[in-house]
Amino acid sequence: MAMLPSGVFAVRYAQDRALLRTRPQWVSLALFMLLLALLPHLVTPRLLAIANLMLVTAIVVVGLQITLGYAGQVNLGQSAFMGVGAYAAGVLSTKWSLPFLVTIPLGGVAAALFGFVFGLSAVRIKGFYLALTTIAAQFIFHFAVLNLPVSWLGGSNGISMHPARLGGIEFSTDVSIYYLFLVSCTLMVAGAFGMMRSRTGRAFIAVRDDDVAAGMTGIPVVRTKAMAFLVGAFYAGIGGGLYAYYIRFISVDQFNLFNSVWYLGMIIVGGTGSIVGALLGTFLIRAFQEVVTSIGPLLAELVPWLGGDIVFASMNILLGGLIAFFVIVEPDGLMHRWNILKASYRLWPFRY
Amino acid sequence: MTLAATTTAPGTAPPVLGAEHMTLRFGGVTALHDVSLDVRADETLAVIGPNGAGKTSLLNVFSGFYHPQQGRCFFTGTEITGKPTHEIAQMGVARTFQGTHIFAGMTVLDNILVGRHFHMRTTIPQSFLYFPWAHREELRHREVVEDIIDLLEIESIRSALVGALGYGLRKRVDLARALAMEPRVLLMDEPMAGMNTEEKEDLARFILDIREARHIPVVLVEHDMSVVMDLADRVAVFDFGRKIAEGTPQQIQRNPAVINAYLGASA
Repeated sequence: MAMLPSGVFAVRYAQDRALLRTRPQWVSLALFMLLLALLPHLVTPRLLAIANLMLVTAIVVVGLQITLGYAGQVNLGQSAFMGVGAYAAGVLSTKWSLPFLVTIPLGGVAAALFGFVFGLSAVRIKGFYLALTTIAAQFIFHFAVLNLPVSWLGGSNGISMHPARLGGIEFSTDVSIYYLFLVSCTLMVAGAFGMMRSRTGRAFIAVRDDDVAAGMTGIPVVRTKAMAFLVGAFYAGIGGGLYAYYIRFISVDQFNLFNSVWYLGMIIVGGTGSIVGALLGTFLIRAFQEVVTSIGPLLAELVPWLGGDIVFASMNILLGGLIAFFVIVEPDGLMHRWNILKASYRLWPFRY
Repeated sequence: MTLAATTTAPGTAPPVLGAEHMTLRFGGVTALHDVSLDVRADETLAVIGPNGAGKTSLLNVFSGFYHPQQGRCFFTGTEITGKPTHEIAQMGVARTFQGTHIFAGMTVLDNILVGRHFHMRTTIPQSFLYFPWAHREELRHREVVEDIIDLLEIESIRSALVGALGYGLRKRVDLARALAMEPRVLLMDEPMAGMNTEEKEDLARFILDIREARHIPVVLVEHDMSVVMDLADRVAVFDFGRKIAEGTPQQIQRNPAVINAYLGASA
């Protein structure tokens, strides 16, 4: 349990359940949200574009956290689920000219159904074999988009989209997109907190920790595993739809296996089984990716004898090395480290 | 249960859980052979026998984890043979496990709340929005859970992670989770295994409390004979998958077939 400062006691069950228990916690959250709200006025357009990408990735990674971190079902197809959401939103928006308030949730639903099908395989297989099956989702998605008639999903040409519109507002600039993403991300993260601290989340964790005991405690294990995939894929679909409206061009290459692996890396770095960990991992890995991709060309320019190829290859090695480092040094992720730090700070100068 | 039922002699009430001519095989091994057994609504039934006698298999069949090749299981008059485990659990068959089958990544409180799962109604969309209704339901079930925490005296560890607890306390959380299901029969698989004397005494007291306060019939699989003789109203003895004797503890202690199974045939 998260440690509280001394002298903080709950006198009602509602207090005991509250996520934020002390005034400093409320103040920090308020300040953080204020900072996020003012961000477009504080940073350069380049950084704002990165922030947009972080917000949309955060939704996808929180979804993966639910499937993987909470329900314990390995999923290497999150990027494909995201792609399904993006394509569904894209097709609904370009072919039927539906407003984005409809296409985004429908994109989520489409992805959820796609994820549910693969969730059903989680009923029979676990771990490594399940990972392989979800990789299949990735290839099926790729294959389907490229081989279905071009008039359906655009084939290898992709789909170009119009910006999202809500009333008179057109989300075509980075700043307007930022606020759209911030609101969506906040909503999805709040929803994740709601689910994970109630009946749904407990069933997921129970199935993760011991599916035999979960079944004998009255939890339908099969249904719960499939639901974990459904919910996780729904998040991916929402993220995919938003991403489509941001880039305004969808192609199958944007949703490849490498992205799925990256999402997994974000979970590992942030910490499994923690929503805040998923957000933290997304932030750190995305930031690291950006640093690396901007240092790469710079390095190639400054030290020409290294050669561009070597620089770009070594950047990927560096990123991979970061994840390997976390798996070895802190497999429980940064949230675990943070909790230890918090506990020792509260106890200081005593050891326990 | 009515007062009249509790004052009559134990073992005379109608059966809540029963097996009829049940046979369970794994390949060439017969784990249970033509077993018939009744658990009555007002008793603590102990199931004993040497290792590999089929005691745990019996519980696993009752829970729906194994499906017998022949014979049938009944729970309060309804056939449960072949039903999935969660449906049997939802009907009111709870169990505790040999060793620990506990959700290590959750707090004690959440573990016990999992036992309330099928009594709760919040759906996934409702929990996403976490509207007051979902919140109120959480609080309502929290009260039920707190009663069980009081009964089993685990107040001080309620917000500890179960993975960090010692063996004896984990077993207590396991029992608490089973009680939270508000079961109509409780199956306990070797609850005393691996415990020290004090822990055994505590647990024995809890089993008696459960019976006194909650009137839940208990099926107790146990190796510790002093526990069995003190707690059980009736004892069923298994050996090599067959039920070889059934009766009161006193009868069992004198039964030649039982002595035979435990000590070997006298020449």
